[in-house]
Order: sequence, then C-alpha cells, then structure tokens
Amino acid sequence: MIEAYLGVDTGSISTKGVIIDADKNIIARSYLWTEGDPTDAARRVVDELASQIDTSEVQVVSVGTTGSARRLVGAMLDAQVIKNEITAHAVGTTFLHPDVRTILEIGGQDSKIICVEGGIAVDYAMNTLCAAGTGSFLSSQAHRLGVEVEEFGAIALSSKKPANIAARCTVFAESDLVHKLQVGYSKEDIIAGLCRAVATNYLNNVGKGKKIVAPVVFQGGVSKNIGVVRAFEDALGMEVLADPDGHLMGAFGAALLAADVPTSQRRPFAFDVDDFEFRTREVVCSRCANHCEIICVYKDDDLIDSWGNRCDRGAIRVGK
Amino acid sequence: MGEPTRRTLEIGSQHSNDYVCAPFKHIMGAYIEALDAGADVLMQFTGPCRLGYYGELQESILRDMGYDFEMLNFANVPSGSMKEYAAYCKRVVNPHLSIPAGVANLLACLHMVERMDSYNDAYLARAGFEVEHGSFAAAQKRFFQDMRDATCAADIDEAYRRGMAELGGIAIDKPADPVRVGIVGEYFTAQDAPSNLHLEDKLLAMHVELARALNMTSRHLHYNEPNLRRSISEYVAYDMGPTSTLTIAAAKRYMEQGFDGIVHLKSSGCTPEIDVMPVLQRLSRDYHVPVLFLSYDSQTSDTGLDTRLEAFYDMIAMRKAR
Repeated sequence: MIEAYLGVDTGSISTKGVIIDADKNIIARSYLWTEGDPTDAARRVVDELASQIDTSEVQVVSVGTTGSARRLVGAMLDAQVIKNEITAHAVGTTFLHPDVRTILEIGGQDSKIICVEGGIAVDYAMNTLCAAGTGSFLSSQAHRLGVEVEEFGAIALSSKKPANIAARCTVFAESDLVHKLQVGYSKEDIIAGLCRAVATNYLNNVGKGKKIVAPVVFQGGVSKNIGVVRAFEDALGMEVLADPDGHLMGAFGAALLAADVPTSQRRPFAFDVDDFEFRTREVVCSRCANHCEIICVYKDDDLIDSWGNRCDRGAIRVGK
Repeated sequence: MGEPTRRTLEIGSQHSNDYVCAPFKHIMGAYIEALDAGADVLMQFTGPCRLGYYGELQESILRDMGYDFEMLNFANVPSGSMKEYAAYCKRVVNPHLSIPAGVANLLACLHMVERMDSYNDAYLARAGFEVEHGSFAAAQKRFFQDMRDATCAADIDEAYRRGMAELGGIAIDKPADPVRVGIVGEYFTAQDAPSNLHLEDKLLAMHVELARALNMTSRHLHYNEPNLRRSISEYVAYDMGPTSTLTIAAAKRYMEQGFDGIVHLKSSGCTPEIDVMPVLQRLSRDYHVPVLFLSYDSQTSDTGLDTRLEAFYDMIAMRKAR
C-alpha cells in the first residue's frame, strides 16, 4: 500500500484534480468544466481520479483544496488543507521549476503574477475590478468568431499580420473586434490580435510595476493557447515556458500542501463522495441591517460547515 | 448613531453618482441614516482633493431628496483661520455659542482623539496574539464606552489610563519575531473599518502585528508635511496630495524597521493615492519588502479580499520562515 495525496482546484470555469505519490509524482490527473456546479464538478473529478489509480494499492491520506470554491469543496471532501489559489500556484510551480523567477497566470476569470526569488514567492498581484483578458473573455470571443477556443492558438500562429485590437477593456476590445471584422480583416489576423491584446492587457494591468525576470513560467487555462504564449514572448523579449501540466498547477500545489500535513491529521480518504448528497442552503441573517448571507453545507441531512457571518451573532454551529 | 451596516452603504450608493469614490457613498449613507434618526445639522470636512467639493454636492443631493437641515461645510471657510471657523459655526449652528466653552471642548476633543489613536497603536501591536478569542475586542468595547461617557479632560485621561492598563494585562502569546505588517493609504478607506471590510481584524486573526501611522493624530495634530517629506527626499520632491507624504514616509519607515509587508488601501479612483503607487513600487524594489495594493469601491467582495490577504500572509510568512 503506498500513501498518496489528493489536490482539487475548483475554479470558475474548470475544475482540476491530481493525486501525487510520496515522491511528489503526479499519478492521476483530471481536468473538466465546472459548469456552474462546483460540488458536482469536484465529484466528477474525484471519480475520474479514482478510476486512474488502483485503490487497493494506493491510499490517499490527506486532501487539499484550492480555487474559488475551495471552502465548499473542502467541506465536501473533509480536506485537511484549504488554501487560496495564489499560494497553491506558487507552491506547485516553485516545486516543479525551482529556478523560476516570474509566474504568469491567467485563469477563467482572474489573472495574477507571482514574483519568485530563490524558490519563494516575494511579491504578487491579482486583477482587481476587471476580468478583461482572461479565459472567459477568450471563450466568448471564440464563440462570436465561430471557432473552438482550443483552436485559437494554432489559428493565431498562422497570421502574418496580427490586427491591432484595443486591449484596455473587454467592452472596447469586443467593439473593436466587431469593427475590424466588419471592415474585412481576416479571422486569423483578428485572433492573433486578440492573443496579443490579452498579453498586452495583462502586462499593463496585473504586471504593471512588477519586474519580470527570466525564467518565466506561464500557466492557468490560457497558457494552453500557444498564440498567447507567443504574444508574451514577443512582448517580453524572453522565452516563456508553458508547462504541459500548467493548468493543473493549483491542484498540484494543493496536493503538495496536503502532503505536508502532520501524521496526526492524516486519515484515509474513501472516494465515497457518490454515496452522499451535498447540498448548500443560503440563510440571510436578520439580526442587523448587514443581512449577512450565511452559507450552510449539508452532507445528506447533516450540517457539516457554514460561513459568511460577520459576527458571532450570526454563527450557525455545526453539531458534531 | 450605531455602527454603519451594509444598508448604510446601499442607501449611500443609491443616492450617489456611480463613479464617485466610495467614501462619498459611505458618508452619504450615514447622512441619510442620521437625518432619518432626527439629526438637523450635518458636518463635512474639506481637504485638498475632491473632498473639498463633496459637502456642497452632498448638501444639494440631500436637499433635492427633500431633507431640511443646516449644513456645516468647512469648505466654506477657505482661509482656514480659527476665527472664521468660529464665526461660521456661530452663524450656521448656534448664534449664542460661547467661544471660550467651545474652544475648551474642542481641545478636550482633540485630546481624546490623540488618546484614542495612541490606544489603537497598542491594540494593533498586541491584539493579533490574544490567547483567549475576543478578549481584546471586549476590552476595546469597554474603552470606547468609557470614552463616550467622558465629560472632561480628566475623564479622558482616566479612561485612557484604565484602557491601556487593561490592554497591557490581557494574556498574549507573541513570538519573538512575529510577522509585521504596516498599513498605509487613503485617509478614509484606511482608517474606517466598515469601508475596508474590517481589514485590520482579518489580519489580526492571522496573528500579525500591525502598525498604522495614518490617523488623525499624525495627519492633523502633529502633521508637519515639509518635515516629514525630508525623510523621503530621495523619492519625493513636492507634496503630492492629502495623505501622499504620510503614506510614503510611513511605508519607508516600516521597510527600514524590517516589517515583512505593507498593505496600501485606497478607494477606487482616488487620484492622489494612485499617484503614490509608483513610489511605493520603487520603495518595494529598493527595500525588498512586498506591497499589497487594495482598491475598494461599494462592490468590493469580502471573499476576494480574503483570498488576497491570505495569499499575502502566506507569502510573507513563508519568506520569513526561511
């Protein structure tokens, strides 16, 4: 029986999961769409991971969750580690690329930059008010152009003269794109222009004021798009490495953090999520005008976790 | 007036221009709640940013809404002379106001501000390491009540003495070399807990020692901008805005003192504090101390803030542990 660790990263668009062994090798991987239902996505990821390992040989002893649904999925999987995605990504990437200095990350709805010195994150920034230039923007534009977002990169590379698309804001980029289409630009030039716009937008917003030093690793779902990778390389004048497992880095980081929990907290993970029904219920606390929205998570009929109250008056206790 | 709630911000936003900065909306909501509770005089400060125009605008919005009140808007005293302030207060609020009594009470009030800021410094340095959950918050609540009950300078001193003694007596478990974070930024957002979604409480819960030089004492009572600017003469040649010099000087001092990180708070669109950001980035590079930039508006999500703060804490704590 070998010990293993599970990491699940539930993002706005996709849910990722990995199982790693004691030597930190990935022995199972899964990547699928969240489709607006994080509990179901996590369940499907766990099932897919279970099918890739021999559960009579491999015993998962700790679980880490990350991503925007980390708390919900953490409650559901009874995770030992519930960690924000920035830390998880930094931990995952610095493990695989100990010499990395800059991590560029573009996900479904957020983007971030992490500066690393000597294998440890020393500075980071994350997009704040605006989701321009993230994965969801690219998918909606792909839909408009009638191509699959997965084909974007290859099409972009075939362009000889990328169109100049206004990069500052999603709304302006979109109207500029429509305008360029209507005046007759070819699709590949527009797609290449979009990829450039994503890179320019990123560097002018999230990357503003940060010193980008090689080696640079680019990850998150958008790193699968070779057009954007090339656009970053052109803009930065340096090589940009897109790891084949780049989209799994958050889940990998969560699994690494789970592997670090003390022995006393370890317990066998049963892969039995299909045997239970997980429901959430929203309660609006009426004790003051803050009207906190408290989320209660139920495993079958048992309340297993709750959060969202700003003060103790709104606390809903979990019966053990 | 009770603590502002989410409703305060909602009604404030409802009656404000969408693009105006968040402090305008918070104050607007508080005005409406105050008027509904029976207030008949509203007061607004002035300052060297858009704040100088806010009183006039807020008054005009509230009058359009049908409220009847007196507006004590200090932007109407452009000279800034004490004599004119007093004359203005007499004219607007109370023609029979006794100047000597008014001055005596004002001095007591400033004394209270200074004592409360000093108390808060001690609170921020220690509260993150409490052994019993909630012990510091409970002591602070008692201290605030004592201050509320104070009627003269002697009461204020007594409340301060009692409050500080109680604060010093609460059991803490503080490591020899704790994670330390300095808070800098825009006047309203960095000081007003409901505006910054209780950022200080969130950081204290992560067992961090906090310092925030920005308060009324250091910005008004002991503010000497040219002097302060001398400490950052390598970075700044002139006064850039209402709190710019204080923000930059405090950040630099924290970095020199070996703080592990700086958090910069501002309302979204606050031009003076946006101008400060490149200077802070340069300081960050020169001193190798990370700065977390946070921008707030009326839609800022608590969850998004938690994610950024947790990541910032993890980063500086991991860096320190090495």
